[in-house]
Amino acid sequence: MADIGTLTTLMGDAGLKAIGAGLAIAGTGLASGWAEKDIGSAAIGAMAENEALFGKGLILTVIPETIVIFGLVVALLIK
Amino acid sequence: MSRPKRMTKAIIVGHKSVLKETINALHDSNLLHIEDFIEDESGFKISKPFQNAEDVSKKLVKIRSISNYLGIEQTRQSVQKADSVLRELDTKLNQLDRTISEKSETISKYEADLKDLETQKKDLLPFLSINLDFDYYRGYENLKVFAGSIKGNLEEGQISSITQAYELYFDPQAKTIVLFVDKKDANKVQELLQSLEFRELRVPERGGIPSDLLRTTEQREAETSRKIESLKAEVESLKTQYKDFLLASDEVLSIENQKAELPLRIATSKNAFIIEGWTTSEKYDTLVNTVNDATSGRAYVTSIEVEEEDEEHIPVEYNNSKAAEPMQEIMELYARPKYSEIDPTSIIFITFPLIYGMILGDIGYAIILGAMALAIKSIVKSEAVKPLMNILLYCQISTFIFGIIYGEFLGFPLASVHAEGETVPGLLPFWNTINLFPGLAGEEVTFPVHRAHMVMTMIAISVFVGLIHLNLGYILGFINISKHHGLKHAVLEKGSWMTIELGVLVAALGYFGIISALTYVGVAILILGIVMLTIGEGIKGPIELPSLMGNALSYARIIAVGLSSIYIASTVNDIAFKMIWADHSKIGIAAIGAIIIFILGHALNTALSIIAPGLHSLRLQYVEFFGKFYEGGGRKFNPFGYIRKYTEE
Repeated sequence: MADIGTLTTLMGDAGLKAIGAGLAIAGTGLASGWAEKDIGSAAIGAMAENEALFGKGLILTVIPETIVIFGLVVALLIK
Repeated sequence: MSRPKRMTKAIIVGHKSVLKETINALHDSNLLHIEDFIEDESGFKISKPFQNAEDVSKKLVKIRSISNYLGIEQTRQSVQKADSVLRELDTKLNQLDRTISEKSETISKYEADLKDLETQKKDLLPFLSINLDFDYYRGYENLKVFAGSIKGNLEEGQISSITQAYELYFDPQAKTIVLFVDKKDANKVQELLQSLEFRELRVPERGGIPSDLLRTTEQREAETSRKIESLKAEVESLKTQYKDFLLASDEVLSIENQKAELPLRIATSKNAFIIEGWTTSEKYDTLVNTVNDATSGRAYVTSIEVEEEDEEHIPVEYNNSKAAEPMQEIMELYARPKYSEIDPTSIIFITFPLIYGMILGDIGYAIILGAMALAIKSIVKSEAVKPLMNILLYCQISTFIFGIIYGEFLGFPLASVHAEGETVPGLLPFWNTINLFPGLAGEEVTFPVHRAHMVMTMIAISVFVGLIHLNLGYILGFINISKHHGLKHAVLEKGSWMTIELGVLVAALGYFGIISALTYVGVAILILGIVMLTIGEGIKGPIELPSLMGNALSYARIIAVGLSSIYIASTVNDIAFKMIWADHSKIGIAAIGAIIIFILGHALNTALSIIAPGLHSLRLQYVEFFGKFYEGGGRKFNPFGYIRKYTEE
């Protein structure tokens, strides 16, 4: 197995950058999804009781979306 | 920027003898939002409903159950005179009720018959191939009859080894067995049969050959179903015949019911009544005149002052221009503003389509979605759909304008693109991209703006737009707070945030600019802002500081979501066009596939173009913008009255 030093030279700068950007999106995307799943299911539950809560439920559900936007900004900065 | 309609608290006092006239006048005018009276120690009590209330609700229940049975839907109908509906109501309703209960009884009787026939048929089927009259199955003194089904096979030898006096009918397909044996051998035979898992079958009581019986049963079944069908068709024709009547009388009686039950909601003493409620200030005089005319001045109407702590409970009626009205739907989805608050509908009217357009920004999609909105608006007459389509239309106007700024048509660049020293012509050969000035990170700001080629600059612009939006929110919050808690609170709670922003801006100018002294000035302003915030909002103020950055960066989604839409569109275009040019000479299967991919891909992206920009623009309004100033939670202004659809006075 090649050690990390050899790997780095093999891949080159552009590749590492792309991997970094990918990691940023992947991690934040997962994080957003993870956070939203709990809020979303709770919001649906609340809506089943009272449909007027749709607006509030929507807002609460999309709050963690910001995490993935941060990831996107970081990914674009790496580029 | 507007506030909800101004309200006046009105009190109507009068003798009980004019109560009916007052209620009629109030109901017709549809002006007063009546506050329910809650009994207290004042000695006033709620009154009893009018005498006709019971009768009216009985009829109403009857009408609604009939409508339900017939499946009447609320659609636009011709308008009828209310009094003529009332005059005919009793006779027509009774007649209809009788007909329908007769018919439904007959139908259920036939349906029960049908079920009976079904069971009879089931009983007959196992005996079908043993064509023996059922009368032969019973009435013997010395014979035992076994009629049933068995598992496995039965050999005649098995029986003949027990007894010679027998008669066996066996249907090997249905495994039905009918066996006549001498009574004295019955026990042994039964043992044999039990070893074959014999299960007795019910022998139909009617005599006759099974196949004949089956034929008559099937005939009767068909006959009964035919009768049910024809009855159902008659009920269906009743539906069309009585639809107008049912809708109109439901409406007339609902109105009567509202009027008859109002005494339950107002304060009365032995001889007098008091009705308390809210009316819009502009209509107060009309209300006074209406009540005075109806009672020839015998009921007294007056307005009373509203104390400030009561303002929270005043019902809210929107006060927006006709154009901004559809946006009220977006407000309703979140919460109706409180009476004392600024109603942001007219601001949303601009910012929502603006951000939507910034995200989507494509002439092609704007035309498709705009045409769709117009078509749905003209086809679907529903009142609920109209405002939504208007919102979509506003959004498409903004999308079209941004589409010109971005120079995009279904993901194709309209103008030429300079990238890496090459110039690729756009869809319109005469439109050349002009370089305007350098942007961030070595990018060039051009006209039209090629978003995909100047991402960093667009992020900065998006965040800048966000900052403007956020500060608009702070300013509205400032106005709201200064009205209710005074200028000092407003400066500390909302002004502090703007001071912090100013501090960061000045410090950044100093840091990146030439005058380094500005950095210190900026930091000083920043600290002043934080101190103000801590005084204004306590320790939770500084804790929330990072949220300012989060809110501002959240606007980066404007370009992020926009880019995803462009990439989907251009990927579809790439695939489709590569397939078309795959074999240059002729139009083959590849070209047809390309066209299908092109249409399906863009249909998908069109659907996404409503959801993604709409949801993200909505979120920016709800979370980032409203979070800065909006409370919501006002009560709906719901005047006592009825909007007639099927009848008129």
